[in-house]
Amino acid sequence: MPMPSRGPAPSRLPAMAIRIAPIAGILILWEIAALSGIWPRQVLVPLEQVGATLLALASDGELARHLSASLYRLASGFLVGSVIGVSTGAAMALSRNVHRLLWPTFSCVRQVPVIAFIPLLILFFDVEDSFKIVVVAMASFFPSALATHDAVRDIPESHREVARLYRMPTAPFLVRLILPATVPQVLTGLRLGLTRGWLSLVAAELLAADSGLGQMMEMGRQLFQIDVVLAGVFVTGLIGFLLDNSMVRVERHLSRWRTA
Amino acid sequence: MTDHRPLRGPATDKAARRTGAVRISGLSKRYAMGGKAMTVLDDINLSIRPGEFVSIVGPSGCGKSTLLRLIVGLDTDYDGEIRLDDTRVAGTGLERGLVFQDHRLFPWMTVAKNVEVALLNQKLPRDRRERVISEHLALVGLSDFGDAYPHQLSGGMAQRAAIARALANEPKVLALDEPLGALDALTRVKVQAELQRIWMEAGTTMIMVTHDVDEALFLGDRVVVMSPRPGRIARIVDVDLPHPRDRASPLLHRLKDEILAELTREPREDDGTLVTFPGRPRG
Amino acid sequence: MKRLASFALALAFPALVLGWWEWESRQGLGHAYAFAPLEQIARSFLEMLADGRLALHAGASLQRALTALLIGGTIGIVAGVATGLSRVLDRTASPLITVMRQVPILGWLPLVALWFGNGDGAKLLLVSLSAFYPTVLNTQKGMQAIEQRYAEVGRLYGFTRSQSLRMIAWPSALPLIFTGISQALAFAWIATIGVELLFSASAGLGTEMMAAQVAARTDIVLVCVACVGVMGFTLNQLFALLRTRLLRWQPATAK
Ligand SMILES: Nc1ncnc2c1ncn2[C@@H]1O[C@H](COP(=O)(O)OP(=O)(O)OP(=O)(O)O)[C@@H](O)[C@H]1O
Ligand SMILES: [Mg+2]
Repeated sequence: MPMPSRGPAPSRLPAMAIRIAPIAGILILWEIAALSGIWPRQVLVPLEQVGATLLALASDGELARHLSASLYRLASGFLVGSVIGVSTGAAMALSRNVHRLLWPTFSCVRQVPVIAFIPLLILFFDVEDSFKIVVVAMASFFPSALATHDAVRDIPESHREVARLYRMPTAPFLVRLILPATVPQVLTGLRLGLTRGWLSLVAAELLAADSGLGQMMEMGRQLFQIDVVLAGVFVTGLIGFLLDNSMVRVERHLSRWRTA
Repeated sequence: MTDHRPLRGPATDKAARRTGAVRISGLSKRYAMGGKAMTVLDDINLSIRPGEFVSIVGPSGCGKSTLLRLIVGLDTDYDGEIRLDDTRVAGTGLERGLVFQDHRLFPWMTVAKNVEVALLNQKLPRDRRERVISEHLALVGLSDFGDAYPHQLSGGMAQRAAIARALANEPKVLALDEPLGALDALTRVKVQAELQRIWMEAGTTMIMVTHDVDEALFLGDRVVVMSPRPGRIARIVDVDLPHPRDRASPLLHRLKDEILAELTREPREDDGTLVTFPGRPRG
Repeated sequence: MKRLASFALALAFPALVLGWWEWESRQGLGHAYAFAPLEQIARSFLEMLADGRLALHAGASLQRALTALLIGGTIGIVAGVATGLSRVLDRTASPLITVMRQVPILGWLPLVALWFGNGDGAKLLLVSLSAFYPTVLNTQKGMQAIEQRYAEVGRLYGFTRSQSLRMIAWPSALPLIFTGISQALAFAWIATIGVELLFSASAGLGTEMMAAQVAARTDIVLVCVACVGVMGFTLNQLFALLRTRLLRWQPATAK
């Protein structure tokens, strides 16, 4: 969910306070329950210990190592997946023959959740980095291809007719006409792709990895270090939020002309 | 219920009916728009007899819908007074009904269920309720469409269903906000005749807003002509013809010319309005 | 003629992929490890069908997904109605849901495993959570978007609060609630496969795939992948059918 961005500045503070209150309440309850000692420490750690663990992980470079591994995979996978996705989607929408060739297969394979491909990909790529990058690429491919396809297909016929009327060459046709008309919808597809990529990456790292946030949490679980697990959950959620939020901002920025 | 009642002559038993009188006095309504108050209705005075049919015409935006909403109590924030049979209107009540400009049938209910909506809060035994529903569907000629959903009806049928719903709980006063606005000319004439028949059978006080002067004259015992900015009553025209009426009556034609003249009168200088009516040069 | 051409093109791509696959599988043992020959895949499929293994695992996954949909979806609808109607509840619960939702569903897995072990209960919990989010969000949105136009009709006929709820708010929210459930169905199916991959304990397509991967049986993995896809698609279609039946009152264009 986007941050509260509407409304004048003065009213923001109380509104924020109201939003935060229930979360603060839960955290306080957690702290009380943890300190009461009803549950063993392996089950419920006090929050300051999670914080301390997070700090320790951050200061000894452990967190940075996992984080950079995860983000590297996410970035490269997303880049590959979305570039291929957007071009495939556009090609399917623009050319009837490409559509005939790829669309049936595309719609079939799309039905399979990407994480179901993980075991197969492990067989093909082993558990190296490339496997995780492929998982992310696949996860971001489908939403971006679908959104681009729909966006291009939804361009009113009249736009294309105008282009034909003026004998617009292909390159300007794509840049001046197709691009602006499709940007908002494609961006939404890319955002979905990024979110799906992140979800699938965490799953892949939990399953098979020597580094990455998922692996960090999985190790924490195996060693009964609940503080490490919680620190991982926190960072994973934070990354998810930041990714989504920044994409929403980009979307809003690039789609200004729609509402303005 | 209404079937066995003999058709009433327009003048005779309207006088005999004693409930359903609406008295509006000194009514003003303001809306706050962008921080400043805008007067939409200004000093409206109107007395409606029980069982009377009053038509209201006036240019768009002169406050006709607002007036109807005030009468049925959907809006209670006003100055002045609206009384129904000596009780001040303060909120909605089952004795006052409204047919909206858009039919507002619930799309998730069949036509019969939509009519039943009006009866939910009336203590009627089940079989009686069923009978009221089917009688009213018959009244508007929709007997075969009780099980249809609103999206399966034509615009005119939906509007008639809305009229059936509004009549079903036998309100003393029924306000109609351009009930036939969405209909084509032919259907419109048919539903007008039906509305006249229904009104004559049910004896309800009816207040109908319309943009169609012919329609206002054909149905109304009186026609209220409103002027805009702020909304005021410019004129009240008596239509002294018995119901059911003949559309070809010369009186109706004369009155129509008069009303159109009133509606298209050049705005006075002190109105501060820049609006002119289409087709007429600004002088 | 035109139909035939487009049909041929549609088949060309998968035929090409399959041909390449088959060719790869014949490039010696090293390749056949990953590229199981097509014939082998077909044989495994028939075998799994015959000995009931496929039915067992598919059934277990299906049961898990649907049970979780029932649990998570019901709680989601109730919570959505409650937060949609009450401002206080909305203010209390919505930020919590928003915060929780930032963590990818499978990211909760290590924590859930520590707290509840890796039995069926833990799996069900996570899958239910994945079904909960879309139902609660859509239900809430539906309940909050009551059209003023219909609310006025209710006021006109003196609706009580419960009548407004039953006859206006709930039915007008229904299309969005159905959207929520159909999203929940998709999410629950994904999450089911996910938890089964990660918690390999009892039967399920994910578990079977993981076991096949460890045993380097690409053929079995592929059969399971196809099964996951077909089942997901079928569930989706069946639900769309149900939706059309239950929302008969909607004009066809609104669907
Ligand atoms: N809720 C509102 N808030 C502010 N202004 C309003 C509101 N409702 C109506 N108005 C204003 O009141 C005036 C009268 O509106 P109303 O709907 O009564 O007009 P009308 O005579 O029914 O017009 P029409 O014939 O087009 O239906 C308009 O100028 C409108 O802008
Ligand atoms: Mg109006």
